[in-house]
Amino acid sequence: MKLMANNAYSKLPIEIVAMSKHKIILLLLFIAVSIDIKAIEQDSLQVEPLRPVASAYMLEFGGSRINDTYLTPLKYTGWMVGFQYERMQAMKFNPEKWVMRLSAGVEIDRTQNPAKNADMWYLGLDASWGMMHRWRLGHEITIGAGGSTSLDIGCLYSTRNGNNPASAKAAWTVNATGYVAWNFSIGCLPITVKYQPTLPVTGVFFSPDYGELYYEIYLGNDDGLAHVAWWGNYFAMDNLLTADLHLSNTCLRIGYRNQILSTKVNDIVTRMTTHSVVIGVSGEWISVSSRKGLNPSARLISALY
Amino acid sequence: MGNKIFVFLWAMILLSSCHEVEEWENTPKGNFDALWTVIDKHYCFFEEKGVDWDAMYRKYSLKAKNTLTDEELFLVCAEMLDELKDGHTNLSASFNTSYYRKWWSDYPQNYDARLIQEHYFNFNYRSLNDVDYGILPDNIGYIHYGSFVYGLGEGNIDHILAYLATCESLIIDVRNNGGGNLTNVEPLVRRFITEPILAGYISHKTGPGHGDFSEPFAYYYDPAEKGRIMWGKPIVVLTNRSTYSAANDFVSVMKNLPNVTIVGATTGGGCGMPFSSELPCGWAVRFSACPMYDANGNLTEMGIEPTEGCAVDMDPSAILSGHDTILDFAIDYLTTQN
Repeated sequence: MKLMANNAYSKLPIEIVAMSKHKIILLLLFIAVSIDIKAIEQDSLQVEPLRPVASAYMLEFGGSRINDTYLTPLKYTGWMVGFQYERMQAMKFNPEKWVMRLSAGVEIDRTQNPAKNADMWYLGLDASWGMMHRWRLGHEITIGAGGSTSLDIGCLYSTRNGNNPASAKAAWTVNATGYVAWNFSIGCLPITVKYQPTLPVTGVFFSPDYGELYYEIYLGNDDGLAHVAWWGNYFAMDNLLTADLHLSNTCLRIGYRNQILSTKVNDIVTRMTTHSVVIGVSGEWISVSSRKGLNPSARLISALY
Repeated sequence: MGNKIFVFLWAMILLSSCHEVEEWENTPKGNFDALWTVIDKHYCFFEEKGVDWDAMYRKYSLKAKNTLTDEELFLVCAEMLDELKDGHTNLSASFNTSYYRKWWSDYPQNYDARLIQEHYFNFNYRSLNDVDYGILPDNIGYIHYGSFVYGLGEGNIDHILAYLATCESLIIDVRNNGGGNLTNVEPLVRRFITEPILAGYISHKTGPGHGDFSEPFAYYYDPAEKGRIMWGKPIVVLTNRSTYSAANDFVSVMKNLPNVTIVGATTGGGCGMPFSSELPCGWAVRFSACPMYDANGNLTEMGIEPTEGCAVDMDPSAILSGHDTILDFAIDYLTTQN
């Protein structure tokens, strides 16, 4: 109080000096609080913001349609199950504007030929990392757009074929990606709906020659196995639509996923399409160091919005 | 801006829709067309066998009417495939599998397993997987390798060669060996070489055209690693018309080794590695797709002839007296050579 008087009171206008002692005390308290709040705001701008990790663990199950002319001219249909992990976080260098997304997953498909007397299995693994610039449009809507890079490997296996039982899939791609997130509530239940498409633009992918046996590759002939991907020979798209129901600190995630892969190289056509229901858990979490603790003045910047 | 996005999206859809796959109806005509097309695009010996596949379509499609029963359609399709004269080409349905059998049925069999087991070994021989082995009179080792479907491990081969180590020479009998896995050929050949050898060439189709083939790719066999039992003494390989596919490949590699003689009849061939496919009705089809060549660049689809002067057929009258004239020829050859 004494310090305040020395610093602020001496500069007050004459009118204020003429005020009653009670009013002056109230005014000084108000000024002190205002100065304090401003100081905290300035401190928090300097304190590194908290960037919680938005993670989701998703189970997928649905239908699959596969056609790979290296193995068969027929379309196989059946079911698929998969697991996906997704992690999003505001980026350190500009957390307000940029977010990163990491995802990894595994998928198993079991399909049958039209006559239902032959099976084809698919086992696939994928991993992707990308950065997106985001814009907050108001009305609780955020959009993001950017790029990512993915690695997809897998194998189709036909139970009826002899020397050509399998068709290996491997691709490294550079993708265009983005998202739209919308926060709203139904009653007292907050919901975040997100749509995230990913579209490979270019990359490199594997394919044997038209009638080349993997035995020949095993013997050492590795010529012409890698192909530059463009939309004419490699078209893929991943559409993920989810709704996070904020039931507590952890959300229930439900959604729909559609994956399309269509390639044509060396006169071999591969078409794989899945439609799946997504169910899982998601949430935003912060790692807190037991030694440093949590700085209460740090700002919280969400990964999604 | 809006128009550009529209054009962009439309271009994407068009590009991906280029990846169309030909489809056929599950009718007799549709299944016949599917079979003809699969063979047309993937079969590898049209030129070598002088088969006009378009003419085959004209000939057999007239028979493939939608009124046919499954069995009737199967016969039409099997008859068309027989025109390829190819032992690697089959059509498989739930009630039958078609085979072109004339590649061996038109020739003497030239092999009788019981004859050797009884009259040369008195039923006293060793067996390992599909391999029988023992020691013949005149101290000649004998191995009959019945099928390359079953592989021998390195330890198995060590045991066999150790058992026969005191023999002066070796007969490897691959008569009636209809093939199997090519990967089972190399472990045996590796015991008979002391330095890497050119084993042969393999090619594949690069597109659906009848003449679309890759440059033949050379492949090599290395000697077995140190510590394995090797064989450097004279070898005779016995062959008949039923020596086929992977066994044919074994003979083609062995024939080029300096201490090996091929005795018997011309092999059955089968140097086209088969591919599998299927028809809308669920029938499976298998056919030669990847031609393989010997180390001299020769196609061995029509068979491999014995070493000059070593072509022998079994004498039916000798069989009655307990003699395999092909095996006798090999024993005489080895004893007189030594």
